[in-house]
Amino acid sequence: MRSSLQINIKAKWLWSCCAALVLGIVITCCSISVFTVNQPDTAVVGSTVPISVNFTYHNITGGNTENLVFGFLVPKGWATAQNAKITYNSSVGNGKMVLMPANTTEPQSNGLSWSAALLKKFGIGGNLVNDMEWVVYQSDVGFPLSNGEEITATLNISLKVGADNNNTMCKLGYVIAESHDGLHEVDSYIDNGAKYEYYAEQITPCFMLTGGSGDVVDFCNPQLTNVDPPKSLDNDFVTLSFDGTVTKTALPSSSAVYLCATANTNDGKTYTVCDQSVKTQFTQTAAGSNKYKITIWPRSYFGISDLQTIVNMNYYVTDATGNIKVGYGNTAAPFTYTFKCN
Amino acid sequence: MKDFYKFRKPVYLLVILTVLAGSSCKIESLRPANEATKDISGNWAVVAATRNGTDLTSIVDFSQFKLTFSEGKYTLVNKLPFLVSQNGTYSLDDPQYPFQISFTPAGSKAVATAFTYPIVNGVRQLTLTFSPGCPNNIYIYTFRKVN
Repeated sequence: MRSSLQINIKAKWLWSCCAALVLGIVITCCSISVFTVNQPDTAVVGSTVPISVNFTYHNITGGNTENLVFGFLVPKGWATAQNAKITYNSSVGNGKMVLMPANTTEPQSNGLSWSAALLKKFGIGGNLVNDMEWVVYQSDVGFPLSNGEEITATLNISLKVGADNNNTMCKLGYVIAESHDGLHEVDSYIDNGAKYEYYAEQITPCFMLTGGSGDVVDFCNPQLTNVDPPKSLDNDFVTLSFDGTVTKTALPSSSAVYLCATANTNDGKTYTVCDQSVKTQFTQTAAGSNKYKITIWPRSYFGISDLQTIVNMNYYVTDATGNIKVGYGNTAAPFTYTFKCN
Repeated sequence: MKDFYKFRKPVYLLVILTVLAGSSCKIESLRPANEATKDISGNWAVVAATRNGTDLTSIVDFSQFKLTFSEGKYTLVNKLPFLVSQNGTYSLDDPQYPFQISFTPAGSKAVATAFTYPIVNGVRQLTLTFSPGCPNNIYIYTFRKVN
């Protein structure tokens, strides 16, 4: 009898622990559904674009005060942190979205900031030029949520686009989460017959920005040439890539190709380097790949003086004779690149 | 009597061991080692370089670029993108425990950057981090002393 009693006490303790554990797991759960984004397909550089994001947030149990978190994938050149205003209307209250402090860590990412965690998890959303950033916001206040509460919310984004004045094609990204669970992976928890999701992500189709006087930057489609870093000055090392597999050009496949470039300086002078030599030859990244790279230090490459700076560069990719030239979009127009940081 | 010795022997032994153990502990006088002044004078060549994490070492010819420190002055030989582009003077923030090096090109303001000075495989290296162009483009050059 005594022995049996002891077993009962242990069992009670064990059951209590299990119940607390289960409760602990359930308390941290929430779910986001009905996630829609309404954004225009095109806009003009400098205009203010209205975007709305609608979603339903299903909370399983109460106990936590949570802030809504919104991650926005945008080109760095748009300076979105300075040029976007976001408000929210929801069934639990209305308010403003404020920038997430840079030192606030995402709860599931081992000390990474929210912005870094989103970049690690979602990359740059299928964009092809690595000049995108995740700008992260949270609701100005947290909300104590009750068990089973379903919240409908709309984010109203007012975004002045194209601060860099570039004509841009890019895929914008949207992530909805909450501050408590963050980017929690789907686990074994089932809600309404489906795996429980802790956050929601959406990458929209290619958005086109026109009317700018800067370069055309196409994040969506593979390009014949790319420049790395996307933003640089003439005192950076600049790597130009040529991808002959994007489309059939007049250049023979996987043969030697050369850079034919003209630099325009701040004093109105032009410097052209268009010989077919070791200096101008691209290196094929792998034998037969028809993909090439060349890295130059523009100040030295064009031989400008210490008092000059290069404003922009026009260039072609040529064959060994220099007679076959491939330009922007496989046309006779040159590729262009402007040296700037923003 | 025999029992008495049986009992006392371990006690004596314990006392002797305790005395020995106690006397063996002596407080060492703790004097900080006198750290040598870091002497970076000499010719340095780039052995590794990155731009925003991308390795540049194999795609850029750094073999002719040298950085020379001598008697408070530095000289750039066969220039490449660097923290400064003109020759001048340099200084360390602390000669024994330096964390920062400052370059002052002739006729210009000083430019400082963090640097590390580790010994790798028995060879002293100098690693500098800087942005010669856009501030978001971060370069790390690792130098090794050459003749």
